[in-house]
Amino acid sequence: MPVFVVERELPGITPEMLTSAGLRAKTCCAELTAEGEEVRWIRSFFLPETARTHCYFEAAEAGLVERANVRANIPFVRISQAVEMTPEGI
Amino acid sequence: MARSLEDAAQWAIQHAKRQGKPEVTGDDLLLGCLVAISRFGVARVGAFDIDLAEFGVDWRQRIATPAGSVAYSNEVVRLLDEAAAIAQVDGGGKPEIVHMLACYSAEQAGLMGEIRKRYGVESAGWRAALSSLRQAEPTVQVSPGRIESGRPFFSPEEAAEYLGIHIQTIRGYLRSGKLKAFRIAGERAIRIRREDIDHLLEPFRED
Repeated sequence: MPVFVVERELPGITPEMLTSAGLRAKTCCAELTAEGEEVRWIRSFFLPETARTHCYFEAAEAGLVERANVRANIPFVRISQAVEMTPEGI
Repeated sequence: MARSLEDAAQWAIQHAKRQGKPEVTGDDLLLGCLVAISRFGVARVGAFDIDLAEFGVDWRQRIATPAGSVAYSNEVVRLLDEAAAIAQVDGGGKPEIVHMLACYSAEQAGLMGEIRKRYGVESAGWRAALSSLRQAEPTVQVSPGRIESGRPFFSPEEAAEYLGIHIQTIRGYLRSGKLKAFRIAGERAIRIRREDIDHLLEPFRED
């Protein structure tokens, strides 16, 4: 299944707000999946220096990832399909 | 079975859908938390026995996932942020139902307002009741071997359940080196060997 990266700019965000956002992302992905629209939050990286996050989701299409993030009420700047690379694959 | 804040949030989403609402509200989330800690339709919060039937919850029915689409409201975002902050003050672990319920201690309107009126709840009394709720949460009896035999590794959460102690205690052991952990190569998941956990136990001696 394709992987998408959700880019966010979150100035002033605290660790607690990140935790809250994570819980919202998990539950909204679970609910969409229960509705038959599979979407999974894989992991996120928060960059403290720039207050940006890159959140990786797995879904059949970008629209599902967008729906999950809208339901979770987590703002985002962009959703793009990602190409995953690992050292083992090279 | 002890339920998590995720379970409560999931229930709140489905409740909002059943109501045909576009958003999950603070009242939905409060009700979800109370349902998560309830038994036979009664949520026991310290001395307060809250009858969920009074708030439209039919505890006798298993309800299927409803159709529809709802989003978390800004109110719920604020409440979940607050619960995470309270969890940090309360030991630094992940937010639990008890932290979420503590957020409502100052709420006067909505469902919490109703609960205040019907059950004579005051803010300090609610928070005190939550303290006793924390102590009453079911814990696993200390009995090595409760986890199915043959499992050589546990996550930190499973190790805490196995020993019947708080997850923060396990994290403290890991930080101090009292308990050794391993990371699965290329992953963030941590695993603790069962034999290392068993070595934490020593025979009890009466002094």
